[in-house]
Amino acid sequence: MTEQRVVTPEELFPEVPESIFLFRSCTGSMEYPGTENAIKEVMNKLGVKIVMDPDQTCCSGYLLTCSVYKPELSLAVTARNLAIVEKQDLDTYVFCNGCYGYNRELAHIMKHNPAYMQMANDVIAKQGYKYEGKTEIHHVQELWCRLKDEIAAKVVHSLKGLKVGVHYGCHYLAQQYHILDDGGYPTFHEEIIEAIGGTPVFYKERQLCCGYSVGRGITHKEEMVQPHLYKKFMSAKDAGVQLMTTVCPGCNVGLDREQPNINKRYEDEFNIPVIDLSQLIALALGVPVKKLGFEANTISLNGILTKLGIERGE
Amino acid sequence: MPREKYSDNNDGLYKEVDTYNLVENLESCLACGKCVGNCPVASLSPSYNPRQIISDVLSGNSEKWLKSEEIWRCFWCAGCATVCPNDIQFPLLMMQLRYRAVEKNYGLKHIMPFKRFALRAREDGLTFAPSEKGREKIKRYRSNLGTSPWPEISDRAKAEYKELFNLTGATEHLEKLSDEAEKPVSFSYTEGRITND
Repeated sequence: MTEQRVVTPEELFPEVPESIFLFRSCTGSMEYPGTENAIKEVMNKLGVKIVMDPDQTCCSGYLLTCSVYKPELSLAVTARNLAIVEKQDLDTYVFCNGCYGYNRELAHIMKHNPAYMQMANDVIAKQGYKYEGKTEIHHVQELWCRLKDEIAAKVVHSLKGLKVGVHYGCHYLAQQYHILDDGGYPTFHEEIIEAIGGTPVFYKERQLCCGYSVGRGITHKEEMVQPHLYKKFMSAKDAGVQLMTTVCPGCNVGLDREQPNINKRYEDEFNIPVIDLSQLIALALGVPVKKLGFEANTISLNGILTKLGIERGE
Repeated sequence: MPREKYSDNNDGLYKEVDTYNLVENLESCLACGKCVGNCPVASLSPSYNPRQIISDVLSGNSEKWLKSEEIWRCFWCAGCATVCPNDIQFPLLMMQLRYRAVEKNYGLKHIMPFKRFALRAREDGLTFAPSEKGREKIKRYRSNLGTSPWPEISDRAKAEYKELFNLTGATEHLEKLSDEAEKPVSFSYTEGRITND
């Protein structure tokens, strides 16, 4: 591997892009639609133009790793989606660690194995596309990091000592190059939380996986996922976490939807709302609450909003 | 002097698993065990041991893992790959182990729930779109946000997505999946080691 593994936000973006291609996430637009909306609102405040394309489909990674899709399909779908982005001469920005990991990994495989590139291009050529491997794949959180100072300057509702525990999500930190941290002891989310006035909490199992990945939340829920998440929530509760942030709607599903079941099974009382980091930034920047779709959350945000003195605006 | 490799003696047996050539550096495994130490599944289920799996795959003993319950427990969090000093992409090996298992009719019960999602995704161009009742909820939430009630995905995108299933043999693969062929898994272990095959 010749590429540098960890890069600074400034190395990643010497210039802040004027417009970006926002890659629609299935979970982020259906399960927690407020995530997608929050990103649009924050980008708007930061003056970054968003381009989306209705021709873009699912990244096809999740079901690949559930063993029901074959790599041939996912490679072709990735090539097709990225070819659509390339036609617009933009870089791809995803807001789901799944989309990030799979797009990056599959694009990497194609760029480094001419036979796979050929295979994917032969298939999508029948639909009139050509993938060249030009578009870079970024996560929107990288842009939040790059624009941390601008975000801090625009804060309307300071988070006034709100204790926030972050969840990085595995598939970002596990990438092999051009990421903001190598996963040893990442702090870039905590820096963002501080920039918007919150108090980051370093809880012990901060880097523990959400358990949702690869369908274990469906086939191994009771056997693996619940005992696994119990550890995570125990340490978060002990550290006094009041709110948890993710950068992946998939992690959000795992951490938010599973809490009532864990409470029932372990006779414990976890009540930690889980939202996307972009939603928290949007909240701090004064985006109206009704634009952030918190009604989709299982664990209610009402306590947090009351604590911060923010109007729910129903 | 070059380091001795498994393939010097067994003719690259692990290629039986790595048919897509995605883990070409598997033989550089140092057996250091960092992957096990950073594995959330191994911490709950000691019989799931990535280092042991690599060692067995390299020496051509993958069959017992194909028959096992263990390989279906992996969360695919890639914690193993994050700490690997030699950048071995263990999740890509796990993916292929599961394909081999399915080919031999093991573990089908663990993927059958996803066949339904896959068939639905083929129509929607989106993964995990719920059934009608769930869709109403999504439409309501999205409308409350002031966005389009359904994610903006074009008919062209849906048609082409579906077409890719046919062009890459995915339709055939999906239709073949059935748990009727399921072979029961034989499995026992003592002190965190699988003992029989």
